[in-house]
Amino acid sequence: MLQAENITKSYGKHLVLDDISLELAPGTITTLIGPSGSGKSTLLRALSLLETPDSGSISLNGRTYEFGQGQKNEIKPPWPEVTVVFQQLFLWPHMTLRQNIALPLKKCGIGHALKTVNTLIEQLDMKDFADRHPNEVSIGQRQIAALARAFALQPKFLLLDEITSALDIEYVTAILKKLNALRDQGIGILLVTHIIGFARRSASQVLFMDKGKIVETGGPEILTEPKTQRMKEFISLVSYAH
Amino acid sequence: MVAGLRVTLDLCLIIWTSGIVLGTLLGIAGAKWKPVAVPLKVFSIILAAVPALVLLFWMHYPLQTLLGVVIDPFITAATALSIINISLVSDLVREVLRDFPQQYVWAAQVSGLTEKETVLHVKLPIVLRQTIPSLLNIQIVMLQSTLFASLISVDEIFRTAQRINSLVYRPIPIYSLLALFFILVCVPLHGLAYYLRVRFTRDLSER
Repeated sequence: MLQAENITKSYGKHLVLDDISLELAPGTITTLIGPSGSGKSTLLRALSLLETPDSGSISLNGRTYEFGQGQKNEIKPPWPEVTVVFQQLFLWPHMTLRQNIALPLKKCGIGHALKTVNTLIEQLDMKDFADRHPNEVSIGQRQIAALARAFALQPKFLLLDEITSALDIEYVTAILKKLNALRDQGIGILLVTHIIGFARRSASQVLFMDKGKIVETGGPEILTEPKTQRMKEFISLVSYAH
Repeated sequence: MVAGLRVTLDLCLIIWTSGIVLGTLLGIAGAKWKPVAVPLKVFSIILAAVPALVLLFWMHYPLQTLLGVVIDPFITAATALSIINISLVSDLVREVLRDFPQQYVWAAQVSGLTEKETVLHVKLPIVLRQTIPSLLNIQIVMLQSTLFASLISVDEIFRTAQRINSLVYRPIPIYSLLALFFILVCVPLHGLAYYLRVRFTRDLSER
């Protein structure tokens, strides 16, 4: 279980995360929706401890990280048990896509790394472009590679920031199927997305964020019957755009 | 001519080694600690405003008069040009390190790479790719700047060529040989810098 309680984060005087509490269970998909600038990416970085929250606590499978006054000096972040795929991907530009996926696996042995990488390349249909550098492939292909790098780590919790935004429909479908498969393997997934259809079908929990707060939370039914006016407005905008 | 060539190469060796080693160390220190970065930047701005020849002459005449010492012109030239090279290299290294995209480190961290692995496999290769072509170009400019040493009586290759020419007056072969020396050293270095830029920095263009 990945639990966040009363997380706050400010940049200077600007409060980016305002008293956020949430719970991600293993083997479930949670979708996080909300307008740009609502704090979704910051929340993902805070949950993965890439950014230390100002206050609150995060618990992961029995370990608790406390922030603010109760913070212990040394925090050993839970990577890659919790891993993130960022919206901007951040593939290492000096390596081919295959090397990007393989590098974090090398400590598990070259044989294991090769087998895992080849399986993923096969599953995600990357054979034609796996040996190219990130700047030699399309954004969609880069997104696939960034996801493959995260999948290869076999994390317990996977935090994904708008990973399907640049993909065509075939890739989106392949990725979403893969996410369902990972969920079925017991991985907890938090997905920032605007694909309402996927959220409705596959998510067991939906969070709506606005201005640094989780404004509404519930099952996928809140996507069709939002309770707050702000979420109603947002859903109608997303539905109109899609 | 061979003796002049040796002096030029000695001068170059001192300038290149000190510039690359001390410049890199100062650049790293400047990227890490602001109290080091600020004076380094101020010094490099002032130094960039002073032409190399003026610095060389200032260190050769007024500074030595002020200090009441007489220093071998070779040492003066090596020191002045080393200071310039150290400043240029430290500026380059500091800026590449300071502008390094933190997101690549995030990606390494969430992938479970240790700090050492991140430096070795992610930071260092990217930083070297961004640094080496410009570093080579700076070293070419420094090699060419060694000619200024002739103006404070250092018997490097240009001054030796001038001397031989004043004795035998055969400017065409003498200065052609001099040009050939610079072509033989600088063209491969330029070529290497170009190759490294094309071969490696293209991989960074995604950003």
